[in-house]
Amino acid sequence: MITYKLFLKQCIRSKEVWISLLLIILLGIIGIIIGNKHLERQQQAIAEVNSYQEEHFDRHVSLHNDDLGLLLYYANFAYINTLNPLAGLSIGQADVNPTVKRITIKTFEAQKFDTDLVNPMNLQSGNLDLSFVIIYLFPLLIIVLTFNIVSEETETGTWRLVAIQAKSRLGFIISKLLVRLVLLFAVLILVFLIAKFVLHIPFNANFLLMIGLSLLYIIFWFTLTFFVITFKKSSGFNALLLLSIWLVLIILFPAGINAYISSKYPVPEALSTAIAQRDGYHTKWDTDKLATIEKFYQHYPQFKKYGYPTDGFNWLWYYAMQQMGDDDSKTQREALDQKIKLREQTSMQIASVVPNMHLQLAFNQIAGTSMGQQIDYLEATHAFHEKLRLFFYPKIFEGKHADTIDWDQFTPEYYEIESKVQPTKYLVPLLLASILMVLLSIPKARKV
Amino acid sequence: MMKWANVKLFALNLWHNATTPKTFYLLYTIFILLTAYAAVSSIQNHIIQNDIRKDHQVKARQSWEANPDKHPHRMAHFGTFAFRINSILGIFDYGLESFTGNTVFLEAHRQNSVNFSEATFSTGTLRFGELSLALLLQLVLPLILFFIGFSSVAADRQNGTLKILLSQGATWKEILFGKSIGLLGISLLFYIPIFLIVTITFLVFGDQAVKDFRWTRLLIIGLGYLAFLFVVSALTIIVSTSSSNPKNALLRLLGIWLLLVVLLPKSAQAMGNYWFPTPSKLAFQSAIEKEAIQKGDSHNPDDPHYNKLRDSVLTAHNVSEVTDLPFNYSGFVMREGEKITSNLYKKHHANLINIYRNQNDVTRFSSFINPFTAIKQLSMIMAGTDFSSYIDFQYQADTYRYQLAQAMNELQMEYISPKKKSGSEGKTHVVGHEHWEEFSDFSHKPMTFSNSIKEAFPILTSMILWIIIAFGLLLFTSKKARAI
Repeated sequence: MITYKLFLKQCIRSKEVWISLLLIILLGIIGIIIGNKHLERQQQAIAEVNSYQEEHFDRHVSLHNDDLGLLLYYANFAYINTLNPLAGLSIGQADVNPTVKRITIKTFEAQKFDTDLVNPMNLQSGNLDLSFVIIYLFPLLIIVLTFNIVSEETETGTWRLVAIQAKSRLGFIISKLLVRLVLLFAVLILVFLIAKFVLHIPFNANFLLMIGLSLLYIIFWFTLTFFVITFKKSSGFNALLLLSIWLVLIILFPAGINAYISSKYPVPEALSTAIAQRDGYHTKWDTDKLATIEKFYQHYPQFKKYGYPTDGFNWLWYYAMQQMGDDDSKTQREALDQKIKLREQTSMQIASVVPNMHLQLAFNQIAGTSMGQQIDYLEATHAFHEKLRLFFYPKIFEGKHADTIDWDQFTPEYYEIESKVQPTKYLVPLLLASILMVLLSIPKARKV
Repeated sequence: MMKWANVKLFALNLWHNATTPKTFYLLYTIFILLTAYAAVSSIQNHIIQNDIRKDHQVKARQSWEANPDKHPHRMAHFGTFAFRINSILGIFDYGLESFTGNTVFLEAHRQNSVNFSEATFSTGTLRFGELSLALLLQLVLPLILFFIGFSSVAADRQNGTLKILLSQGATWKEILFGKSIGLLGISLLFYIPIFLIVTITFLVFGDQAVKDFRWTRLLIIGLGYLAFLFVVSALTIIVSTSSSNPKNALLRLLGIWLLLVVLLPKSAQAMGNYWFPTPSKLAFQSAIEKEAIQKGDSHNPDDPHYNKLRDSVLTAHNVSEVTDLPFNYSGFVMREGEKITSNLYKKHHANLINIYRNQNDVTRFSSFINPFTAIKQLSMIMAGTDFSSYIDFQYQADTYRYQLAQAMNELQMEYISPKKKSGSEGKTHVVGHEHWEEFSDFSHKPMTFSNSIKEAFPILTSMILWIIIAFGLLLFTSKKARAI
């Protein structure tokens, strides 16, 4: 016990260590503030849409009471992706993807990928959120605290003394590392506690999982530095080697993998779908009305009772045409879905062997800010769109007046992010990576 | 006074020391392999992406031209797509390419969002960065120079060589300038292959017909990086000189790298975002909607603005009904409506762009405290993959959208019978399909060189300033430096 106390004293007596510890706590707090700002902005957007929607319907009902078809040409219905406070820790894809979608009952494909207002420079620079601090900066701190724990002793000549006096030299190194590990654990938990209170995160399994993953990630970096230390090279060599590893793992690997994925799986399907939905709807203005309505009834046989009005403009034909925008672009849309899934799968597979990429993707999934969950939200928006269509189609076709509908029921709806959290799938790769590093260190560690 | 022979001697000495160890060749090989990988994947990606977009531009156009005789307002809604073409220098510096949409649907009355950026279809790993040739120069090469140069003076001091050199008549100025030049020379070993790759790509793949000043742009990029590498080399030597031992020098240089490459740029953009918040899409749209209603709502049959307009048109033509006018009144109203809403949209959109610019200005002007940001900005602007190039595309697309809508409104005024009060359905009130071909397709023009230069002006100033600062610091350090 006394040895540990001494090790701790030895570790924190240097000014640089204090400065770097304070710096990382400060950066963690900045990350939390940035995450909080992100959440506030989303909450504000949600509040705005809540107050807007009622007014929006009032106006259009009063303008087009006797023309429901026209009203629904304009009416927007909000569908909100419910916020998870954990998104404040790992903003992930939530900055590029909208949290609120407002859709009309017209062709869904024409609205599906509409973006929010985003400044591309903000996206490119990336978010300095807590996940960034943990994934990028903690490893650097670990390197700074550990790269010379043995070489320092050899370089100052104290190593021989240790070699004689310590019961086990390996034990000596491990205890020194453990002290630093516990110190960083304490810092990490402190930062998470601050986050908990600032972002009002409930103490639940997901939050604990995030902490657990972060701890494992820190352990991984410790095992990695342990591996390097056992070579017993000079401080300079250790620092260079560890930093090169950091550069390769944190910057070059992910960047190279992104380059691979984007050139291997381009997404022309997105552009083809956009053209197909446009042509699917608009060309119907010139083709046989009967054929369009017939196709519409094939999709919705339950509406056959509304007959085949082909004289001039009518809303049944109009919405049948709009429906064709979705129906005729189905092949392209499915190809697009496939491609997106393929991209995500490939990315996940490769990431599982690169701890930092793996942790980022795991964080995003736990926080509900991953690409997969965004696609799920879009799918749910599609289902919401379908529900609206099925509700309004018969009322439009029957020529009902807008005031016969209870518009108060159309408050913005919320989508609960489907929890796709798979703790073992997240924990195992990190655990394996650490074990691998320990195994690799054994041959050299025996001889220290 | 500096003796150039001595400066040359120190430069050659650094060159020799750096290139002797085997690890240098290992490092060099890795860098060249990375360069090759980055070059191949970015050239490939560039070609695939532009082909996809050009191909879809043609497809979208084919469906446009395939339209039969119809009411022009139907064509205004049939609309077309604008696909953004990536500039040839995008193979060197991706800039914002992956974060900006590339497809926008252009139709009457509506300004749609530019969709389908690479980022929309990517997992969170995209935020780690993208492997471009520019990234290698901006981020990896400086680290390599730090690794090579951190001990260049500090080690000489530690082992006493410095004392001997100085006592034999060499001056600090000669040592510092010589070593900086030597390190710059080393950096050229890494830099020149990249520059050659871009040049060769220009010659092999570039469509020479496009007037985009690519060679001038490349020249500015080339000189910019040269200046940047000089600043980095000088910085390395200065830190090595002012540190007591090599280890400290290395730690300081790494701290500088982390601060200037990772932390400062990220915080600068975050601060911009914090000080100038982006409005929500709903707030943006409803502000336009509100103002449009005030100005006149063409959809409202009792709208005072349009009633007044109608009365004045009727009086001017001395008729009592709109159906007696010599042109189609509905087309006229839509032309008026389009003008009003477009202007409104433009006004609000300009405000939004101003907010973005304010956000980005924090980063832009941080070039004066961060040479890494300076080169990043300069490189992006000259490559035509920066924010202003993207806004330029949006502007071109929206201008085309407006022209398309108005051309269709004018066709309606001219060719659709004044008796047809409203509606665009059916085969009786139509315009011949030959008119569709007459309206030429959208084609994305590269950002003009003069605009890029205007955009880059503060950055160029900061680059020049950085060269002066580097010289100044070398001189300053040479006066302060101690041999022990």
